[in-house]
Amino acid sequence: MTTSVSEQAQTGRSTPTATITGMLLRLILLGVFDIGAVWLITGMFFDGYWPLAAMLAFITIAVNIIFLREGMYPLRWMAVGLSLLLLISVYPIFYTVYLAFTNYSDGYLLTKQQVIDQKEGDVYLPETGQAVAYTAYRSPDGNYVLWLQSENPDSPLNNVLAEPDVDIGESTIEVGDFDENGIPNSVAGYERIPTAGMFVALSELDKILFGGTEQGVQVRGINEASQVQQRFVYDPGTDTITDQQTGIAYAPVNGQFVDEEGNKLPQSGGFIITVGLDNFSRFFGSSAIGGPLFQVIVWNFAFAFLTVLMTFFLGLFTALLFNDLPGKKIIRSLLIVPYTIPSLVTILVWKGMLNEQIGVFSNVLQDIFGSSPPFFTNPTWTRFAILTINLWLGYPYFMLVCSGALQGIPQDIYSAADVDGANAFTKFRKLTLPLLLVAVGPLLVASFTFNFNNFNVIYLFNKGGPPIPGADTPVGYTDILISYVYKLAFGGARGSDYGLASAITIIIFVVVMVITLLQFRYTNMWEAGEDV
Amino acid sequence: MKSKKFYLMLVLVLFGALFLVACGGSDEPEETTTTSETTAEEAVVDTEATAEAEAAMAEEEAMNAEATADAEAAMAEEDAMNAEATADAEAAMAEEEAMAEATEEPMEEDAAATDGPTLTIWADETRAPVLETLAEQFKADYGITLVIEQVAERYEQFNIAAPAGEGPDIMLAAHDRLGGFVESGLVAPIDLGAKVDNFTPESVQGFTYNSELYGMPYATENLAFFYNKDLIDTPPATWDEMVEMGQALMESGDATQVIALTGTTYDIFPLNTGFGGYIFGQDADGNYDPTDVGLDSEGFIASGDFLQGLVADGLISNTTDWDTAHVLFEQGDVPFLMAGPWALNRLRDSGVNYGIATFPTGPNGEVSAPFLGVQGFVVNALSENVLLAQTFLTELVANDDIMQALFDADPRPSAWIPVLEKIDDPDIAAFGEVAPSASLMPSIPAMSAVWGTWDPAIALILQEQETAEAALTNAATQIRDAIAEQ
Repeated sequence: MTTSVSEQAQTGRSTPTATITGMLLRLILLGVFDIGAVWLITGMFFDGYWPLAAMLAFITIAVNIIFLREGMYPLRWMAVGLSLLLLISVYPIFYTVYLAFTNYSDGYLLTKQQVIDQKEGDVYLPETGQAVAYTAYRSPDGNYVLWLQSENPDSPLNNVLAEPDVDIGESTIEVGDFDENGIPNSVAGYERIPTAGMFVALSELDKILFGGTEQGVQVRGINEASQVQQRFVYDPGTDTITDQQTGIAYAPVNGQFVDEEGNKLPQSGGFIITVGLDNFSRFFGSSAIGGPLFQVIVWNFAFAFLTVLMTFFLGLFTALLFNDLPGKKIIRSLLIVPYTIPSLVTILVWKGMLNEQIGVFSNVLQDIFGSSPPFFTNPTWTRFAILTINLWLGYPYFMLVCSGALQGIPQDIYSAADVDGANAFTKFRKLTLPLLLVAVGPLLVASFTFNFNNFNVIYLFNKGGPPIPGADTPVGYTDILISYVYKLAFGGARGSDYGLASAITIIIFVVVMVITLLQFRYTNMWEAGEDV
Repeated sequence: MKSKKFYLMLVLVLFGALFLVACGGSDEPEETTTTSETTAEEAVVDTEATAEAEAAMAEEEAMNAEATADAEAAMAEEDAMNAEATADAEAAMAEEEAMAEATEEPMEEDAAATDGPTLTIWADETRAPVLETLAEQFKADYGITLVIEQVAERYEQFNIAAPAGEGPDIMLAAHDRLGGFVESGLVAPIDLGAKVDNFTPESVQGFTYNSELYGMPYATENLAFFYNKDLIDTPPATWDEMVEMGQALMESGDATQVIALTGTTYDIFPLNTGFGGYIFGQDADGNYDPTDVGLDSEGFIASGDFLQGLVADGLISNTTDWDTAHVLFEQGDVPFLMAGPWALNRLRDSGVNYGIATFPTGPNGEVSAPFLGVQGFVVNALSENVLLAQTFLTELVANDDIMQALFDADPRPSAWIPVLEKIDDPDIAAFGEVAPSASLMPSIPAMSAVWGTWDPAIALILQEQETAEAALTNAATQIRDAIAEQ
C-alpha cells in the first residue's frame, strides 16, 4: 500500500521544485522539532517515565525518516495523525505490555526517583535543634522575615529577627515598637501578617530557610518553626539512602529501600521495578490454573457462543417478521429500545426483577406455581438468567443489521427459486441465510469477541456467583475469564495488582486473537462459497 | 521532578509544531506545476510556518518555566493560530512572540496575587456539598481556595492520580484503606498536637498505622441491631433468643423470616464474633497480625454452623442482598436487621417503627462486635502543599463549628468529642452505645485477600453447598496462601 503510493508520487513528479529556501526551512524546522523532542525524551527518561520516553523516541525517529526520505513523501501528511495514533492508542497497549513485566501494584506505585525525592524532603529535629514560636512579616514585593520567640529566654533564637540567607543575630533590619507579647508591631519595610493571612503565606513560607545554614529555622506549622535538618540523603554513587538521624543506609532491593537487616525505609512506599516474567509465572504457577480455570474457559466459550447464536437468530427472526408487516416502523423502533438503554441500567433492572425474595418475576411465579427458580443460587438457573439478559440486550442489534442486509438481497433469485419449486424454509436456508451471512458474518465474529469479555453482565448480575465449592481461589459458576482474573488481580493480599492483571490481560488477548483469526478464516470460507 | 501530565501537554504542543512543519515544506508533487507564482506562495507559507513554530517554541519555553501555565499556553497557541490566518507573515512573527509572552506573564502574576493557594479535596456525593458550603467562608476569612471534587471510585483513582501529580491535596477516606496508601507512600503523617485529646481514642487508633498517625478522623460508624417495635417488645439478649422470637412470629404469620441478612462479609461480622470468630489476631498494641488468620477458628465455624442451621430450618433466606433486606424490614415482614447509620434516612422515610439495640450475645456470652469504621481526612504525600493541607486540617477543620457542620450534613457519630457529647439524636446515640464494643476494621493490605474469600465462603454455607468447616477452612487456606505469596 505504502510503496505503491510513494511510487505513484515519484512517477507523478514532473520536476523537483523544492527551492533551496524551502528545503532549508524544512530542515531547520525539523531540527527545532528534534531538539524539542530530545529535550522532552531526556527529561522523561530521567524522571522515570521511560515507556513514554521510548514511545516518543520511536515517533521522533519515524518522523525524521518520513521527512528526510523523498520516497516517504506522501506519509508526511499523515505524520501528525500517525504520531497521535501511536501516542493515544498504541502507547496504552505498549504500556500494558510493559506493566506486565513490572511489580506495579498497591505498595509499588511510585517511580524510584519519586521515592528518593519524597524522602529527601523529610526533615528531623536533631537533639541540639530547637523549636520556637514565630511571627511572620511580609514585604510588598513578597519577601518574608520571621520574629522568633523561644521558651528558653537564654536561647539565641529568643526575640530575634530571622531573614533568609542572613545568620541569626546578623540581621540589620530595624524593628519597630513591641506589643504586649513582646512581638514587634512592625518591621521596617515589612508588614506583620495577621493570623488569618497565615494560611496563604504558609504555602510559600515552608520552602524558605530563615537565618542562614548554621542555625536556620524552617516553618513547621502556623506558629512553629524549628531547626530541622534534612533526614534522608540519597547517594547516587552507592545507590543508597542514608538516614542522617541514625546513620543507617538503605539499599534498593526488590522495589524497596531496605537496610542490612531487611527493615524497610520508614514511612516510604516501594517503587516500580521490572520483574521479568514473574507475573506470568505467578499466574501459571498459581492454584488458579489447576482446578476451576478449565471450567471457567468452557463456560466462557459457551456463554459467548450461545449469546451470539441466540441474539443473531432472534434478531434475524424479528427482522424477517417485520420485513413486510403494517406498522413495521413503529414496532421496529420499539424493539430497538433494549439496545438504546444503557446496559448497566438494564442489567440492574433484570437483577431486581429476578430477585428471589422480592422480585416481580419471582413473586408472580411464586403465586402461580408455588415456587420460583433460584436465579442467584443455582448454577444452571443463574446461567439461564444471564443468557436471557444478554439475549434481551443483544437481539435489537442483529435485528437492525439483518433488516439492512435483507434489503440487499435481490428479489429475483426468490422468483427463480419459486420456479424451481422451493418451499419457504428451503429458500431461507439456501438463499437468505447464506447471502445474509456474507454481510453479517464478520459482525458475528465481532459480537463473539465482545461477549467473550463481557464483564458487565457477569459481574453486575451475580458477581460470577454462585461460588464453586472447594475451589482453590475465589471463583463462581458464572465467572468468565475476565471476571475471574479481576478477582485474582484485585483480591490478592497485595491489594490491586496491576502488573499481574496486565500479564493475564495479555494472555487473554492472545486467546481471543487466535479465536478471532480462526473465525475470520472460517467466514472467508463462507464468502468463497458464494462464488460457486 | 515533573508530572506525567506536564510532559504529555508538551508532547501535544510538539505535535502541533510538527503539524506546522508538515504544512511548511510544501513542495508536494500535486502542486508542482513549476510557475513562479507557486514558488512565491510557498515562500509565504514557509515563513508563516516559521512564525507559528517559533510561537509554539516560545510557549514551550514559557511552560518550561511555569508548569501551571499549561492552559494559558494552549489558549495563547489558539490565539496565535487565529491571528496567523489574517496577519501578514513577518508582522505575525513579531506579533505572536509578543502575544505569547504578553498573555502568559500577567495571568500568572494575577493568579499568585489574588487567588492564593488552592487546596483540592476529594469527597463523595454526601460529604462534598458540606465542604462546598464551607469553601466560601474559608476563601473570605483565610484566602484559601477550596476546590471540592466528587470523584467516583476515589480510592482507586487516588492510587493512579497521586503518583502522576494529579491527586488531590486532601482526600476524605475510610480508615480501612490506610494500609495500602501508607505502604505505597501516598499519604503524609499528620500531627494533631494537643487537639488529639478532643478525638475519640478509637478514631485516632483507626488512622494510626505502624504507630504513626496518617489522618484526621471526623466520624466513626458501625452497625447496630435493629428490631421492629410493633412486633418485638424487648430486643433479644442472645442470638438463640432472637431465633425463638422470630420463629414465634413466623408461626403466627407475622413474619416471613427471622432476620434479613444484608451481606456476607462486613454485614455479617457481628454474628461471627458473637460465636467467638475473628479475622486477624491482634498484638498487645492492637495491631493486626496477618499471620494469624481466624476465618477457620472454632468460633467462626460455629457461627457458620448456626447460619446453616437457620437456612436448613427455613428460618432465613439462603441469599443476602442489602436492598432486599432493608425493604423486607421496612415492610414489617422481618423483625430484625443489622444496619448502619447510613440506612437511618431510608428507615425513617419508610415509617417502620424501629428500635436500635446492642447486638445479642453469643451462646457463651461473647460480645458480638461489629466492625468500627473511621471516616477522616488524609493528606496526599505527593501534594505541593503538604504543610498547608496539614495546617488547614488541624487549625481550621478541627474545631466545634466545622465538626458540627460535618455531623449535621451526614449524621454518623462524630469523632470529635465535644460534638459527640452534644448529640441529642437518640438513634445516633444508640449507635454510639454499640461503638465501644466494636472492633476496628483491619487496615492492613492483607485484608483485601479476606474480602474476596470470605464472601463465597458464607454464600456456600448459606446455600448449603458445603459445611461451615469445609467452606471456612478453604477460605482461610486461600488467605494464608495469598499472604505467603506476597
